[in-house]
Amino acid sequence: MRQFKRSFLNLVVLAITICSVASCSDDENLNDLDETIFVRHRNADMPAYIRGNASEKVFLITLNGGPGGVGLEFRGKAFNEIENQYGVVYFDQRGSGNSQGNYDKDEINIDIMAEDVLALAKAMKHKFGSDSRLFLLGQSWGGTLGVATLIKDQSEFKGWIDVDGAYNAAGLYDLYLETFTTTANTQIVLGNSVDFWESVLELVSQVDPINNANDFSKLNRKAPEAEAKLANDGIINSENTGVEGNDLNFVYNPRINQWNAIQIGSIITGDQGLFQTTDLTSQLPKITIPSLFISGQYDMVVPIASAQTAFETIGSASKELLIFNRSGHSPPFSEPDRFATEVLRFINEHK
Amino acid sequence: MKKYSIIFLLTYAINSQAQQGRIDSSSFLDKTEFKVGYYGNLLWDNGLNLGAEYAWKEKKKVKETKKGQKTITHQFLVNGNLGYSTNFANKTDNGLHTYYGLIWRRTSPKRWQFQVELNPLGYYRSFLPETFKVDGGDVSKVRLPGRGYYTPTIAFGIGRLRNGKRRSGWYLNFNCAFRTNYNAGVLPTYSIQYGHRFNFKKKK
Repeated sequence: MRQFKRSFLNLVVLAITICSVASCSDDENLNDLDETIFVRHRNADMPAYIRGNASEKVFLITLNGGPGGVGLEFRGKAFNEIENQYGVVYFDQRGSGNSQGNYDKDEINIDIMAEDVLALAKAMKHKFGSDSRLFLLGQSWGGTLGVATLIKDQSEFKGWIDVDGAYNAAGLYDLYLETFTTTANTQIVLGNSVDFWESVLELVSQVDPINNANDFSKLNRKAPEAEAKLANDGIINSENTGVEGNDLNFVYNPRINQWNAIQIGSIITGDQGLFQTTDLTSQLPKITIPSLFISGQYDMVVPIASAQTAFETIGSASKELLIFNRSGHSPPFSEPDRFATEVLRFINEHK
Repeated sequence: MKKYSIIFLLTYAINSQAQQGRIDSSSFLDKTEFKVGYYGNLLWDNGLNLGAEYAWKEKKKVKETKKGQKTITHQFLVNGNLGYSTNFANKTDNGLHTYYGLIWRRTSPKRWQFQVELNPLGYYRSFLPETFKVDGGDVSKVRLPGRGYYTPTIAFGIGRLRNGKRRSGWYLNFNCAFRTNYNAGVLPTYSIQYGHRFNFKKKK
């Protein structure tokens, strides 16, 4: 029995040691960072995957789309190139990816999630020094969250990069009706995927002209389909162009991701009516840090008019709007080389 | 957590009383089997599980057939487990789990086993890498970062008994654990358990 107890204990110690060693992060090397820290804020623990070259202590914090997407979904050709020059922080937002916590539904909203981003910025400066320089990039829903963050406190950041950002989520409905109609008419004239675009026009004619959750969902689901048709017809580049190096198969458990996405989606877009109530346009003039807006010419998910309005409204003295002519909703993947070049140029100018 | 602790203590006390009445003729070791096995989902979560099963109640049904007698055994076993698992790809998803409950097991005349586990007392503790707590303007490093979740489990499985052997059988379970309160909900996690049972009965 004593021998058994000893073998049993040895086995437990061995198992824990193997797992602990396997789970340890590499030693810190600013030139080639590959580490993960967690930020604990308001009962949530959220991972920030820090990658790339942070020798200058310049970091680009990224906010993914969703709600319910994952931080590392940005990785690919464009961001690999950005990582060669600067540190990139991929953040799993509250309720997404590998983030976890013991909190209730009332602790999930844009306000608290914006505070999470500010908490991440503080944690980064605590870890890498107060001389660290941070840039913020948000795509799609990340654009909503980024704007909400900057409205609260922009002093932590040297610049803002908005990629197809949905700062006016409630306004997307009207933009869908307008953009779907003009794009469909143009494509029908060109003879591209005529049946599909006729079905788009039919959908537009069937939905209520007043924004409502059901019809929004129908239009929102049609948008990626429309971009796929545009890619098939050679109008825009495929999103597969820049996915090289984005290997997330084993980093995230897809079933947990899906559960998270449904959970947070039902709270933010369902209960809180993100796409019916959230419009931050009137607060854009408060943002005065240098800003770069990037939009795909054929973005069907957050149409280009959104970026144009943001560019005109934002309070920044230094601002720029770049239209990616061969892109839809994912310029980092459809035009990765240009995307990386423009983001690096912006950071170089304002770091 | 307090209420779960009370439930646990009550269950333990009831089990202890029940055991005292039946354990007279054999020692604890005679009625206990230890198990060790793989725990995880093969892709995102892999680890090791250790446990013990105490035979609480047993009922044997003997059937007369043309080929002779056939014995089918039904057992209720008190179950306790401790395990650790991790995701080697992201190096962050590490967790220790422990759970306790009852197993109902049927052993066929050909020693094949089918079992159902109900483990209402479960706890999962995640272990996270370097974590910074941000509270207002204050940032501090968290000691032993991670979180605990009440995590009851259910499992269904098969196995085979090896009569009279030290390594007394193998089992393959499909386990579902419910991690609460996780990201404002109850997260079901699924795993496979494959392992072997051992007994240390005194040889008579």
